[in-house]
Amino acid sequence: MNNAIEFQGVSYRPGRDFEINALTLTVPSGAVYGFLGPNGSGKTTTIKLLMGFHRPQSGEIVVLDRKVPEEMPEVLAHTGYVPERPHLYPTLTVSEAVRHHGAFYRTWDERWVDQLFDRFELAPDRRISRLSKGELGKLTLLLALGQRPELLVLDEPTEGLDPVVRRELMSVLLEYVTDRSATVFISSHLVHELERFCSWIGIMDHGRLVTELPMEQFKNGIKRLRVINPEQSAPEEPFEIMFRESVNGGAPGEMWLVRGWRSDMASFFDRGGATLRDVVDLDLEDGFVELLRAFRAEMVRK
Amino acid sequence: MFDRVDPRSPTPLYEQIASRIRVAVAAGELESGQALPSVRQLSASLRINPATVVQAYRELEADGFVERRHGAGTFVCDIPSDQRRRERIRKAEELVCRLLDDAARLGVNGADLQAALERHVNRRRK
Repeated sequence: MNNAIEFQGVSYRPGRDFEINALTLTVPSGAVYGFLGPNGSGKTTTIKLLMGFHRPQSGEIVVLDRKVPEEMPEVLAHTGYVPERPHLYPTLTVSEAVRHHGAFYRTWDERWVDQLFDRFELAPDRRISRLSKGELGKLTLLLALGQRPELLVLDEPTEGLDPVVRRELMSVLLEYVTDRSATVFISSHLVHELERFCSWIGIMDHGRLVTELPMEQFKNGIKRLRVINPEQSAPEEPFEIMFRESVNGGAPGEMWLVRGWRSDMASFFDRGGATLRDVVDLDLEDGFVELLRAFRAEMVRK
Repeated sequence: MFDRVDPRSPTPLYEQIASRIRVAVAAGELESGQALPSVRQLSASLRINPATVVQAYRELEADGFVERRHGAGTFVCDIPSDQRRRERIRKAEELVCRLLDDAARLGVNGADLQAALERHVNRRRK
């Protein structure tokens, strides 16, 4: 299995105001795939499609080599899921909730779950309704990990959690990834957190995939260039210009957002009349914001 | 020593880790034969992808700084003192280059920078 998740031209239109539009997305096996996008961009809808909760109008979804939603029971047997809002019976105690959940899985690992209990310092007799937000976050991750899944799907798993709990959850997740070489698909607004451990990045906007690429290419290849005297019709450049605009505040030149940049490409500017004044490194958050801007400008043009 | 990495830096995380360990070996902070944290430990404590740690250790192994013993872990090699010295000099060069780049960007000239550097080096020596 080369890919853990494949979306091929998936469209889904739940109502008039919103649609997932011809979404093609690939998550390689063993990747930690960070799924980014502004609120309402379709991240949770995509996750629900991948979990078989919605049925697409067209296109194909394959998860762990099985068709979704047709072969969902087999997929779920190997997939741990942390939903945006966990649905747990409030009157159950923590250990009852764990037993109830574990009963669905043939591969449920009691010993490992006990270790997680200790690690997370969860009180087994506490009622779900009495848990703090942090304890709920820990319990939800424990429920997703208990069956030792091949694939973990996490929808905003650290939303609203304090940094201590957040760090602990991510540490446990990464230990699991080390031990099991599991694939992780994680959506989050905490871009700097994703920047630490994701090996792939996918960005959504308005129900479409803006881009997906390995983190390394994202960090190395996407730059902001300041170019003085740029030619109006750009000649054949070795990188891709995604966006160009004049510099704010009347300073001379243009700002280019480029993709596929390498430092030896600076020599490209020696040939033409243009001068490369500066190459600005972008972190994941800057790159994310810039790519969205370029994507939206492109959409308006079309 | 493994307290932090800067995920926002354009320097790849594996390179940050490898470079930190190289310097620690060069400065004698890590001694020959000493064990490095396991991939699992370091990945969890820094909250970075385990593959990143593996990549850093692999690079250090290729440079001859560490040796990976199958099933036992990763250990610091015996590095001759002239190689350690070269490594310290290399790091110093790198720091100075970064400083000069920053200065150029801010319009601070080399002479002022050099004077300030000497002043502060001398002050700390006392």
